[in-house]
Order: sequence, then C-alpha cells, then structure tokens
Amino acid sequence: MRARHTGASLASPAGSSAGPAAHARIAPGLIAGILALLAGAATPPPSAAQEPEGQIPGVELTLLYENLYIPPLAILPFRTTGDSPETGALVHGIVARDLDYSDRFRIIDSLPALWNDQQGVQYAFWDQYGVDWLVIGTVERVAGSRFLAVELHDIVTASARARGRFPLPAPDDPGFRMAVHRVSDEIVMWATGEQGIAATQIAFRMPALGDPASKEIYIVDSDGANRRRLTWDADLAVSPAWSPDGSRLAYTSYKSGVPKIYEIELATGTERMIGPGGSGQQHSPAYHPHGGEISFTLTDRGSKGVVSYNIRDGCCLRMLAGGRAPNIQPAYSRDGRTLAFVSLRLGSATPQVYTMPSEGGTQTLLSPYRYGQGGYFTDPDWSPVSNQVAFAGGIVNRRTVGRYHIFIADLDTSDNRLIQLTREGNNEDPSWAPDGRHLVFKGERRNGLGIFIVDAATGRQRVLVANVDAEDTDWSPWLGNSGGAGQSPGNLPRGGR
Amino acid sequence: MCNARFVLGAFAASLLIAGCGRGQPVQETPTPIEQPPGRTPQEIADSIAAERARQDSIRAAQLAAEQAAQRAARAARQTLEGTVYFDYDESTITSATEAALRAKVEVLRANPGVRLRMEGHADERGTSEYNIALGNERAESVIQFLTNFGLSGDRFSSVSYGEEQPAMQGSNEEAWALNRRVEFVITAGGDSIVGS
Repeated sequence: MRARHTGASLASPAGSSAGPAAHARIAPGLIAGILALLAGAATPPPSAAQEPEGQIPGVELTLLYENLYIPPLAILPFRTTGDSPETGALVHGIVARDLDYSDRFRIIDSLPALWNDQQGVQYAFWDQYGVDWLVIGTVERVAGSRFLAVELHDIVTASARARGRFPLPAPDDPGFRMAVHRVSDEIVMWATGEQGIAATQIAFRMPALGDPASKEIYIVDSDGANRRRLTWDADLAVSPAWSPDGSRLAYTSYKSGVPKIYEIELATGTERMIGPGGSGQQHSPAYHPHGGEISFTLTDRGSKGVVSYNIRDGCCLRMLAGGRAPNIQPAYSRDGRTLAFVSLRLGSATPQVYTMPSEGGTQTLLSPYRYGQGGYFTDPDWSPVSNQVAFAGGIVNRRTVGRYHIFIADLDTSDNRLIQLTREGNNEDPSWAPDGRHLVFKGERRNGLGIFIVDAATGRQRVLVANVDAEDTDWSPWLGNSGGAGQSPGNLPRGGR
Repeated sequence: MCNARFVLGAFAASLLIAGCGRGQPVQETPTPIEQPPGRTPQEIADSIAAERARQDSIRAAQLAAEQAAQRAARAARQTLEGTVYFDYDESTITSATEAALRAKVEVLRANPGVRLRMEGHADERGTSEYNIALGNERAESVIQFLTNFGLSGDRFSSVSYGEEQPAMQGSNEEAWALNRRVEFVITAGGDSIVGS
C-alpha cells in the first residue's frame, strides 16, 4: 500500500510513513496544530529598532502551510437514470466546486479516459493514479421525484466509506442548489468527520443597483451563486447579522431617520424592530448564541457604549461597556460568556479590540497595541468553534494608511498568538464560517473591490463576489436544517455509513 | 378691495384706481384728503404729489428694513447651517472650526426656538463601523462646544452617517477633507430665524 500523508505529518514534515491506521487526514485539531507549529517555528521577535515600519511585533507574517497535506479527490461525471445528462452535469458541477471550495481536497478534474466504474470501483487503478478519495454520483428520476445518490470511496483502504441517497428538487426549484450543497457537506462529513460549509450563505450590504446613494442588504450562497436583495428601504441598511439558527437576520437601518435595529424573518420576509425604543442610535447588532438576546452599539445622549437587550421579552437594556470614549462592535464568543468589542479609549485614531465578560466586567486589551506605535484594529468576530478572534487592522502610519489586514488572535495560546491571513490590498469585515476555518471579508485589490474568502488552514483565497462595493460581510451558520433565505427544502436524511 | 368711499376729486380717484391696480402689497388706505373749498387744481395736484412722496418714502424705509432683516436672517441661517470640518481620525474642534461655531452660538442665542440636528460624517478611510463612531464623536464634540456656552443640550440631536454619505466622491485628499465634517440641519424654529 502506498504510504499516505496525514495531518500528523504537520508536526514532523519529514515523516510520511503513517499508514492506514493513522488515517486521520485532517484532524479536528488541525488549526491548533498549525498554530503550535508556528509557535515552535517563530523566531525571536526582533528589537523595535529593527522592525520594518508597519509590522506588528509578535505577529507571524508568513503563511507556513506548505506541509499541509491535501488529499487528492476524484469526482466522476455523474450518471443519470431517467433524467437528462444536463441535470447530471449541473449537479456534478456544483458538488465538484463545493468540494474544491471546502479546501479539504485537491480536486482531480482531468480524469483518465480509461476509468471504468461499471464493474465496481477499481481501487488499484485509482491508487496508482494517486487518488485518495473517489466520489461517484447518480441523479435518479423516479415517478416525478428526483434523488441524488452519492458514494464516497476510500482508495487507501480500498473500501466504500459511505453512500447516501438524497431527495433533490427540480433544477428550477429555488431550493435546488441548497439541496445539492447539503449533499456536498455530507461528503465532507464522511471524509473528514467535520461540517462542511457549502450549505451556507453570506450576508453583506452594498449600494443598490440603480440607486448608488442607498445601501441595501444582500445575500449570496457560499459558492457565489444566487445573489439576491433582501431590503428595499431606499435608505442606509448596514451591518447584517445572522441569528444563531440562520432563520433571522438583524440589521441597522436609517429609514426612520435614526439608525435602529430591525430583524427579518427569512422564511416569510416579515420585519420588526427589535431594539429598545428611545432616541438612541443603534448599530452593529450581534446575537447571543442562544438567540434571545442581542448586543449592539448604543449612542444616546448621556449613555453610549456596548449594551445588551433581551429581544425575546423586549426588555432589560443593560450597559456593558460605557464611558466617555466610544465602545462599539460587540461580538459574542461561541459560548456567549465573553464579548469582543472595539474601544477608542486609547485615542480616536487608534481603535483597539478588547474582550470582557458578556455580563460586563473586566475589560482586556486583545489587539497588539504598543504605546507610541499606534495601531488600528476593528471588526472583531469570534470563531463559532474555538477561542479564536478574527479582526481587521494594522499599524497605521504614513506608509500604511488604509492598509488593513485580517488577523486571528488565538486566545487558547498563552500569549494570544496572532496570525496575519492577508498580505495584499486592504481588507476589512472578517466573519467566520461555521467550520471555524474559513473567513469571508471585504477586500480591495489593485484591480478592484470584492468579497473574498480565505481558508485559515491553507491560506488559500478566492473571490466570492467580484466588483462589488460590499461591506459588513457576515457568514451564516450552517443552513442544512433551515434552508436559508428564499429556500424551502425538506430535511435530508443522514447518509449511511 | 379698495374703498373709494372717501374719494372726492377726479384726480384722487384716478390715482387710487391706479394704486388699486398695482395690487400687492396692499397699501394703507390713504388718509382722506380734506379739500377746503376754493383750492386751485394746481394746489390740489401739489398736495396729492406731496402725499404720494410721503407714502413712498415710508414704503421704501419699510422695504429697506425688511430687506435688511431678511438679509440678516439669511446670514443667520447660513451661519447655522454652515458645515464644519475635521482633521483625519480626529473629532477635536480646530481653531477654524471654533470661529464658525462661535458664530453659531450668537445666532442660537438670538433664536431660542431653533433646534439643530448635527449630522456627523467621516472620510472613506477606516472601517465602516469605526467611521460611524467617529462621525458621532464629531457631532458630539460640536454639541459639547455649544453647550459650553450655556446653550441647552435639549436643543440638539445628532446622527452619524459614518462614511456612507460623502459630500464629494473620490479617493484623494481634497475629497477626504470635504467629507470629514459635521452638517447642521434646522429641525425646529427655522421659519422665524432672526439675525443676531
């Protein structure tokens, strides 16, 4: 049997002798492993005098992910029974792209002409071909119903890993693509044991087409398809935030003349004001993980700062971080016990990210501020699966003004190790995917603006939506159960193992 | 409606009809001219001309006063509504801004019924939520400045648009300088502003 690279080889790049027994390709603790690797590899920080301008002390600026083994996966053209080859090709295209975008496989798309799956999977052939995983799919149409049957074969162990048969709406059904995405995530789950992110959506805001002065909320699928407009206020609609179950979306609108927080029920499109009454301006809503409470930025005469509010009962406005200097942009930790937020207390030109208990309490500086050097750090977002906080910013000086990058601070390391994920252009508004591995952000490059996605494990970037002046990107939770905005698919059965 | 009841002579009648035809603004009803018997037509004409001159001068004076008041009110409104500008990433009042705000103080003192909404803005650099906070800081520091002169804070409200509504499009110093600002919107008492 061919020796297989594994996630374990990360810790000792020279070793590649792990056999089938060490079959964990991408271990759950992958990112932690990488961070540990980086920690071990980090050179002693140079003295301040030697640091290039704009560089942040203690930040690992180089992505050292070359040792990460990405298993090759071949996906055969999907057969069809009782359905058109076009449908098969359409579904195959979506699944192949989803698996590629999962960044967990190296997709083999130029398949040899001689493959033959009619007599069962030729494991030896695929093994020689250098493939670790093989996906076979069939679109079936039986008595008006469609199904997508998929099999995942483990070439290394020469066995079928899993197979499943999933109901599939018609290609012109609004829930069609999301149903296919869900199958893609099932395949990722079979292979890695971890949740994929194909069945997710990203909310953002941008100038309305035809009305550039207004900003409206839009949603797009994780593969960049199916972009659609959610608000029609012809005003300023900003900072969308998904509810923890993906069924609702909160955002701030100026339509009453004063910015207030509204919530849209995605299945019905109904909207209500969820913030407290009063004259104050309300910005940056963030849902508590239990969904019944929000934290947001309140700006009112005599009381401004990060507050919490019970939206289930419409009560109990609490000031969590007040004071003279603005405290803004709250983001809950995955367990809801901690809030990250931004404070301008060190100066209006040097906003910094802090953390505090979500009931209020001791506030701790998180971003890499150093006296005399400045630094501009905003847009915190807490990983939904770990103690990592992403944020945007940089050391701001004459040369680097406006040059912001995406950072991750790992709060599980003793020194809150920082990793910089972007290295070119200007980057803002990071938001974690539900896998705690991918991040979406607003990017500015020499050739234009757009929404980008970066995989924190491989450093790989892709463009989600090109040439849009989008901001306030927010990644949904996994929508495999609810279907997301404008979708109405039924629940899918779990695939067999 | 002109009242011609007191009209005695043909000259006067024709003058008043002409006066009626000119229409607005409606003039005061001319004082009825007591015509002593035995006056010559020339004397009557002189008397009418003198009276007309007197009324013209009153009207001119009134008009001049009204125009001066309007000019002063317009200037006061412009003073109130004049945009003030800020340095990059700053919400502190600069010396140039201070002069503009002191002028507003005078107008606001002379017009206790006037209320203002301060609309804070930022240039496009920086993240959007930060810029909303910065716009609020700028509006707040303007309000703080005004209330330090004894004006009631109840007369002022504020809203921040951050970087969302630039006064000038463009990614250059000129546009940025024009976009770092607080605009002033009169929300009450705007119809009866008087000069200070």
